[in-house]
Amino acid sequence: MEDRIKQVMSDVFNIDVNSINNDASTSNTESWDSLKHMNLIIALEEEFNIEFTDEEIIDSMNYALILNIIEAK
Amino acid sequence: MKYSEIIKLNNELEGGINLPEYKIFILSNIMVHQSKDICEYLLRVEGVNASVLLGEYDNVVQDSAKLQNVNAVVIFWEVCNFFDGLQYKINTLSKTEFQNIIEKIKLEIDLVFNNLNKIPLVLVNKFSSLVFNQFGLSSNRINKLEKDLNLYLEGRINANIKIIDIDKVISKLSIKSSVDLRYYYSSKTLYSVEFYKVYFEHIKPIFLSATGKIKKVLIFDCDNTLWKGVLGEDGFDHIKIYQEVQYLALELSKQGVIIGLCSKNNPEDVDKVLSNHPDMILGDDNIVIKKVNWNDKVSNLKSIAQDLNVGLDSLVFVDDSSFEIELIRSLLPEVKCFQVPVKEFEYGLMMRELSNLFYNPSRTKEDVQKVQIYKDQIQRSNYKSGSIKDYLTSLGLIITVRIDDLTQVSRIAQLTQKTNQFNLTTKRYTENDIEAFIKEKDKAVISINIHDKFGDYGLTGLAILDNAESMIDTLLLSCRVLGRDIEYSFMDIIMSIVKNKGNSELRSQYIKTNRNQQVVDFYDRIGFSKTDEINDNSQYNLVVDNYKTRDIKYIEVKKWKIELNK
Repeated sequence: MEDRIKQVMSDVFNIDVNSINNDASTSNTESWDSLKHMNLIIALEEEFNIEFTDEEIIDSMNYALILNIIEAK
Repeated sequence: MKYSEIIKLNNELEGGINLPEYKIFILSNIMVHQSKDICEYLLRVEGVNASVLLGEYDNVVQDSAKLQNVNAVVIFWEVCNFFDGLQYKINTLSKTEFQNIIEKIKLEIDLVFNNLNKIPLVLVNKFSSLVFNQFGLSSNRINKLEKDLNLYLEGRINANIKIIDIDKVISKLSIKSSVDLRYYYSSKTLYSVEFYKVYFEHIKPIFLSATGKIKKVLIFDCDNTLWKGVLGEDGFDHIKIYQEVQYLALELSKQGVIIGLCSKNNPEDVDKVLSNHPDMILGDDNIVIKKVNWNDKVSNLKSIAQDLNVGLDSLVFVDDSSFEIELIRSLLPEVKCFQVPVKEFEYGLMMRELSNLFYNPSRTKEDVQKVQIYKDQIQRSNYKSGSIKDYLTSLGLIITVRIDDLTQVSRIAQLTQKTNQFNLTTKRYTENDIEAFIKEKDKAVISINIHDKFGDYGLTGLAILDNAESMIDTLLLSCRVLGRDIEYSFMDIIMSIVKNKGNSELRSQYIKTNRNQQVVDFYDRIGFSKTDEINDNSQYNLVVDNYKTRDIKYIEVKKWKIELNK
């Protein structure tokens, strides 16, 4: 699952998948802006066939939290 | 394909197409951020070097004024977001307030279209109210707004503006899958990525046409593609023609699409179906190119492209066999392939879908042709409803008669070989036979050409008289000219020749086949008496003086040479 999340992040942000480590967040990932964030959530929802709540969308500003949210679903 | 894969593949395609950039600017009063990668990707895989730019949120008018050097503009103008909360506020507004909104939008439409009048292609979505109005039983202001504005939009169309019926896309997907209200309420993002995938696929042909990437040629396999069954195994009489598919192909052909065949079959068997099968819609008139042989289809499709002097990427190929489809897809990936659906009832829809690949923006030309099709249809139904004489009179039918014309030998022989329905004896003759008959003193080979205001049908009727026996040896008409009472005029002609010969009686016969049921009583109808009937062979006789000339007023018989002096 970790790999799939990172692959989606890599695709959406157009960055090398190896550059995404476990502390990747909006603050240390250059192309992770508010618009890309939305694309990321949409892509993750599609990839895992899940739906984020509004709070989760706002919370999921780093890789670790995204992993938590998806694992909980 | 998933959105993340599309983004990835789109990034990979970026910069890889060695063509000038095709810039598409998307104007919108909602957030449409996800449209960019999807639109670019769908066009880039088709070889269009697309680059999508997004306007500012809810700045349709302002953005439209700034656009320069853009190839195309797409406008998402959502009714529900003309102002924030329109969908729940509008029915509570005063009449004046409501009217003002309509007027304001109309003004904006004018401004935008005026600003965009130099842009080569502008696609504007029809105003839609489906999302927020899906439950309304009675018409409300959103309906009125939608209706008024769409009407206004239609009236403002210029040559560069195309209206896209977005409701078709929403219907195809369902409202539920098309929108994500969660994102609408949080960030004014109305449409889902699913929606964009279908939407841009839907409008893609317009861009392909604008960039010269539109398909030109539609190639069909034959067995289980133009008809159900295998001609070589099931036989001529047991195939079932896919008429809906053929009519749709005919429609394309009338719009200038080249129709062709690529089939592993005996060419003469397929030709026989093309010219003689009563249910066939496509024929040699519309089929421009035929590769019917036992060669592999890759070579055949290559040679079709060569013969027509088009690129392989202009071809669309339809076949029922997954083997052939996969072969073409792997060896000629430029050729767009469609496999006949397993469910027969889905075939017509597939044809409609692939018809879009031949999108032709010159609407006027198309419309003229459409009118003609409708006219023909109307004429045909008039014909059935009984005003046959008016219809036939309007055709301006002319028969030109030739007797013993040696220049026509091959066509005459061909007619005896190919004609099945209106053929009283179905005697097949070779060119040598016909030539011999023409030279023989006691035989007369009478052929007729048919012409009407729509054009020439060519040599389409034949009678062979044996004057020594005073017998009609052969009488046939090509199915192309049936239903026009040609046969009665033809009999008048034949009888006057017989009279000239001085014969007092004339004999004839009807030999029954599987296909000539429609003329089983032809000789009875024109006054012959049946003298004998053995198995499938009926003998007739007529006293020549008793023949009643039909003298059909709506068929003109052109001067014909009688060269009985051999």
